[in-house]
Amino acid sequence: MPTIALDSLGGANLEMVRAAARISIATSIECLLVGDEGRIQAVLDELEYNPEQLGVRPCALATESALAAGLRAVATGEADAMVSASSAQDCLTACSRALALLPGVRRPALAAVYPRQTEYPGQDRLALLLDVGASVRCGAPELVQYALMGAAYARRVSKIAAPRVGLLGMGRDAARHDEVLAAANAALAAHPGLTYVGEVEGHELVRGRVDVIVCEGLVGGVAAGLIDGLTSALVDVARAAGEQRLVWRVGMRLFAEGIERLQALTDFAHYGGAPILGFDHVFITCHARADGAALDNAIKLAAKAVRAGVPAGIAAALGGPAQP
Amino acid sequence: MTRVLRFRLARPAPLLCRWDLDKTYLRSEFDTLRQLWRTAWERGEDKVAVPGVPELVKALKTAADRHGRTIATYFVSASPPQIGKAIRDKLALDRVPYDGITFKNQLEHLKRGKFRNLREHVGFKLGELLRGRRLAPPGAHELLFGDDWESDPLTYSLYADVLAGLLPVAALGVALRRIGVDPLVVPELTTLAAEVRAGGGVERILINLARRTPPIALRVFGPRLVPTFNYFQTALVLAAMGHLDPVDVATIADALVTRHGYTSRRLGYSLDDLVRRGVLTPHAARVASGALRRARLLGEVRPSPPVARLREWAHDVRTRRRAVLPPAALDYGTIFETFPNLARARAAEGKS
Repeated sequence: MPTIALDSLGGANLEMVRAAARISIATSIECLLVGDEGRIQAVLDELEYNPEQLGVRPCALATESALAAGLRAVATGEADAMVSASSAQDCLTACSRALALLPGVRRPALAAVYPRQTEYPGQDRLALLLDVGASVRCGAPELVQYALMGAAYARRVSKIAAPRVGLLGMGRDAARHDEVLAAANAALAAHPGLTYVGEVEGHELVRGRVDVIVCEGLVGGVAAGLIDGLTSALVDVARAAGEQRLVWRVGMRLFAEGIERLQALTDFAHYGGAPILGFDHVFITCHARADGAALDNAIKLAAKAVRAGVPAGIAAALGGPAQP
Repeated sequence: MTRVLRFRLARPAPLLCRWDLDKTYLRSEFDTLRQLWRTAWERGEDKVAVPGVPELVKALKTAADRHGRTIATYFVSASPPQIGKAIRDKLALDRVPYDGITFKNQLEHLKRGKFRNLREHVGFKLGELLRGRRLAPPGAHELLFGDDWESDPLTYSLYADVLAGLLPVAALGVALRRIGVDPLVVPELTTLAAEVRAGGGVERILINLARRTPPIALRVFGPRLVPTFNYFQTALVLAAMGHLDPVDVATIADALVTRHGYTSRRLGYSLDDLVRRGVLTPHAARVASGALRRARLLGEVRPSPPVARLREWAHDVRTRRRAVLPPAALDYGTIFETFPNLARARAAEGKS
């Protein structure tokens, strides 16, 4: 059974401790909570948990973060993967220090998993967007690698035999391409290991046309932030409108349930987490606001990625030696 | 003869191990009528023991024989004697040595129309424990094994407090009436309680957390009661008390690994859990884990950094200090408030 190291933020992330307790009872996944033993046990004492599947590791030094200690456990084989709700940049920095990049990987990619429309029955309702901020700018070779890593992830985790890959841009008009986009477009179209559907525009992000969308970190970060903030912005606008007219307020009441569902659908905090791809171990980052169910899903996702052998799949896709 | 030599030559006090059966020894399922019906008709070979428990019962006997101690094992079950054959068959199949087994005569309660007594086990079990104590050798020490499913923590705590002289007979009567024990049985129980011999007593109450009750919920029963999540943890506690040797713990751990799918990581996590909960000192954990590592049942650990060792030492001192605290009378009022389902009489009075 995979062992997942969990960053408890030194014991302060009570939701993570609760999630570990739930997972230890409901699944066969083994959790290794990293942080202050006393604080973690104080929370566990009040919960139902299975100690056979729930370990606690303190940080070796007072100055060491739970994130660093957890990654050390992953690197030494004590755990198979890690889940953290620390900031994505902190996670990336810590991963770069503790884990090894897979052979051939030029840069790791931070992926975002987000909901989209489905086009056919059985299609995964989540799409993968990468990179969303591991690096700001990149060249065409990196974009091709992102596509290969994203497709390998989708094949192994979402079980899509031939994931459709798109390049996020401003349109199919060649005049609107810069050098990087043009080169990436040509390289992706020519790559035999990818099912490339061409460029996708912003409005197609939430459509079911593609399973993996690649872009530069700056663009991806803005897009992910936009999807994340869209519903809350809509709710704010509706609330403001409701304050102006009674009829609109009544209308808002009627639509309240629908808006809540839309919010739940687009809120990143409800989704398990997003992988950092390119390292020799699985790492899942969670939203800082991630609730109980989201953390449960993140831990399950990490275990699924370990079982599916995502790093090995990426290594194979990049043409490197297959990892165990 | 010096005091030390006299102490060394003195024969150790006999040890009585009293075991509950369902959910403690056996993995009985009777949450639904269907399961209850199936349990009633199960044969010995159909019954399933909780992982590690037959090995633990045997290890206690082996360790006692090894050190020349007297040990007796008794089972007390609230199941009717009609299923006694299946249970005896199961114990024989497991090759578990025992000295006696008692069942609850449910048919008698049915005949007398005492339907409430069918589900009331505190009076029955306490009566059996007290009767057993009258026949026990003077000064005998006891280990009580139960589970968190029904009322074992309460029954065993009442019994332990009676033996320790911490619960006056009158207070016992009040508690039993509050629990809803048959009023006709209460005088008999208080008489038995007044008759039990002083000396010896209950060393530990070991509760198998079959329902995964959060351990903190059982803190109201005091440090004498130790909740454990599996019988590897129970074995570690007994080893720390000197009732088992590290080699016995390794035997039990080996059985869990080879027959029940445990891994060295799961054993390690279970051991760490006991230390974190303050049940086991880091020193005791190190002693046990040494034997387990030699038997290749636990993985290697890297040496702890100095800060962690200092923390361990402080933990050791705290846990040891807690262990030598003199036993204090339990506050049964608080226990009934914490577990309102145990105070059936009050609930019934409230309804009427």
